Amino acid sequence: MQIIENLKVKEKVYMEKLENGLAVMVIPKKDVLKKYLIWGTRYGSIDSEFIVPGEKEKTQVPMGVAHFLEHKMFEQENGTNSLDVLTALGVNANAYTSNDHTAYLFECTENFYEAMDELMDYVQHPYFTDENVEKEKGIIGQEIKMYDDYPDWRVYYNSLEAMYHNNPVKLDTAGTIESISKIDKDVLYRCYQTFYHPSNMVLVVCGDFEPEKMIEEVKKRLIPNKQTGEITRIYPTEPEEIVKEKVEQTLEVSQPLFTIGIKDKPEVCGVENKNVMIKKQIAIEILLNLIIGRSSALYQELYQNGILYAQPSLEYEFSNIYAHVLITGQSNQPEEVYQKFKMEIKRFKTEGIDEKDFLRIKKMIYGGYIREYNDVGDIARMFLADSMKGINSFDYLEEMEGINVEYLKQVLNDVFKEDKMVLSIVKN
Amino acid sequence: MEHIEKELKEGIKFHQIKTDKFKTNLVAIFLTTSLKRETVTQNALISSVLRRGTQNMPSQELISKELEEMYGAAFDCGLDKTGDNQVLKFYLETINDNFLPPLGENMWKVATEKLLEIVFNPLVEQGGFKEEYVNQEKENVKQRIEAKIDNKAKYALDRCIEEMYKEEPFGLYKFGYVEDLDKLNAKNLYEAYQQLIKHCKIDIFVSGILNDDIENEVMQNENIQKLQARKPEYQIPNMQLKKVEQEKVVTESMDVAQGKLVLGLDLAIEKEELRYHVMLYNSILGGSANSKLFQNVREKAHMAYVASSSYVRYKNNIFVNCGIEIENYEKALNLIKEQIEAMKKGDFTQEEIENAKKGIISGIQAIEDEQDTQVVYYYGQELSQYQMSIEQYKEKVMQVSKEDILAIADKVTIDTIYFLKN
Repeated sequence: MQIIENLKVKEKVYMEKLENGLAVMVIPKKDVLKKYLIWGTRYGSIDSEFIVPGEKEKTQVPMGVAHFLEHKMFEQENGTNSLDVLTALGVNANAYTSNDHTAYLFECTENFYEAMDELMDYVQHPYFTDENVEKEKGIIGQEIKMYDDYPDWRVYYNSLEAMYHNNPVKLDTAGTIESISKIDKDVLYRCYQTFYHPSNMVLVVCGDFEPEKMIEEVKKRLIPNKQTGEITRIYPTEPEEIVKEKVEQTLEVSQPLFTIGIKDKPEVCGVENKNVMIKKQIAIEILLNLIIGRSSALYQELYQNGILYAQPSLEYEFSNIYAHVLITGQSNQPEEVYQKFKMEIKRFKTEGIDEKDFLRIKKMIYGGYIREYNDVGDIARMFLADSMKGINSFDYLEEMEGINVEYLKQVLNDVFKEDKMVLSIVKN
Repeated sequence: MEHIEKELKEGIKFHQIKTDKFKTNLVAIFLTTSLKRETVTQNALISSVLRRGTQNMPSQELISKELEEMYGAAFDCGLDKTGDNQVLKFYLETINDNFLPPLGENMWKVATEKLLEIVFNPLVEQGGFKEEYVNQEKENVKQRIEAKIDNKAKYALDRCIEEMYKEEPFGLYKFGYVEDLDKLNAKNLYEAYQQLIKHCKIDIFVSGILNDDIENEVMQNENIQKLQARKPEYQIPNMQLKKVEQEKVVTESMDVAQGKLVLGLDLAIEKEELRYHVMLYNSILGGSANSKLFQNVREKAHMAYVASSSYVRYKNNIFVNCGIEIENYEKALNLIKEQIEAMKKGDFTQEEIENAKKGIISGIQAIEDEQDTQVVYYYGQELSQYQMSIEQYKEKVMQVSKEDILAIADKVTIDTIYFLKN
């Protein structure tokens, strides 16, 4: 077992890779009543083409399978539904599917071990029938339509459509009504058997526990599993160029929503390369705040001219097959925001970065990382999501120090390129 | 954990929540005032203008820079409708000194001073707010009022509430009305602010690892000293018996892919004690994955992804929410009505009650593990003028029986059915 302590945030993580390949992480939180368990697998909406270990031919599945599988995992052979069982225990249970992983979780103050029994049991026992697969199509169909009515969701996906030619990150996590109509129980079993092997999974627990004992509790609940080989994931090749600079959709909204996207080259993810990824991510966060953050000259100008009413959200999303910057907000003049943003980047490139501003934003981002450690759920989800990229969440606090203005300039030139930018708009 | 409260002056309360569970310290100031059509818009605008500048930090840029310098102290302000009150909420969250490089910054003290400054010492020019700020914020508030349509599910709920509370304070939109913005200017808005500050109920909360001298520091603060004692003008939430009228149906059209169905239910009860019974009723009807709505509308009929209900305790209403295929309106509505009927017939088991209790109690126990939830919990007690420990709260929930829930079911009527379609 490996123990990593972070003296800045004063927390520890206990990690062990079990014999069957499952990675377990425990973050103890003394005197906190809330407890959180999350079990995730490296299998998300981007994984629809792969070679099953031991086979030669590649398998291709309809989009939306990872998410469909997540919905169906709760159904049990004895006729019960694990979500009902967990809810009856008084715990708050849920699951989600992202681009690169699927996770099952619960939060509770009592009945932790009973809930752990149930969660670990259902994730290890799929039970799909023609009937239960069919009925889920109605429910997921309504989930898809719910998202169709969210303008912020549309503006996000449209920006990905504008950036990516082939990359599956641009596809809706839940798929489409059409794509899910092709899903049957055989597809689900095949994907389950491929991706839900312990060696492809990570389990994180956060709460008032003794870490060594918790790891034993996890082991007790694992069913024997044969070692399998590596999963080969096949992703289409993606040109560096964007598809088109501008994309628009009509929806009934009070004022246009916009997303400015910047397509970036993905870095190799994994433990060997983690410092590069982390440093780059922090640098991009700092740059975005310097350029269009709350205290920036550009934001102040746009705000005072009534072009922006609130600070846009600033994000950098990445995995080993995609990487992009996203700036999302609402404005009556999205084109103006876009043009001014481009000009401001030029200005930064020629005039350079002010050391004082840099240090201030760096302090702010450091505070933001510390704040992530307030809630057991936030902590567990963060450690899980980061681990999917080979990152230990503590590393963000450590890598902060190595970042300087020189490095920022390099990232500014490498990432913030005009010919890689897109503008997505949703308006009336 | 320790909760200490002290009345600084009549109508102004200081609450300390001493807890070492968090990396952050939280300061919150809540201004509570009666919700009225005449003042709802100006209060929304005041909340917006206050963020723009203070006497010592005259611009938003300066405020932002100072907060960033404080390791990204997070400032937030918002408006809430709590019963028949409009609440202006201001928060500042800072990292506790224990998790910062050792500079001895005494962050909570700076944070408390800054937040008091933002709320009680705004930038004033020629006897009014700064004109430029007021004009810009009028546009900002206008945009926020109009943005009501952007989230369609939330819009449907807001519309249902408006229909249920026509001509009543609770039916008002918390950001106000565009047509009321026109007559507001730097001068009359500042006068409105002064009136608000003079008469509203003021609650100041600090939560985190606190020093013993914090109470003195706050009492000595010049912005607090300036404030006068007052008989605060606000509404103590009390259970109101609703006049049960005929069920109202409202249908509206918008460009939506999915229909949004909301049912506003009335509860003809008056006793405060009964709210624990309603919590159980709501949990079984639509408050969890085991509820009648989730099981029947979603899992059995596959008609919806969202099928739930929530209890607005300050107004004694339950709201049912569903996202459905537009042509399934009749079917879904009947199915929902069947669930409400099933509750009246007592079609639920002792086991379901026990399970619902576990879920509710888990939520109550988690209050102390969430800094902002805990602040809001004590504010709720303050507003309702009752004191109850977490233990007592749990006890109340545990005591609810099947008969109690049946008695609630009997008092439930559908007030308004709202449907948003295309």
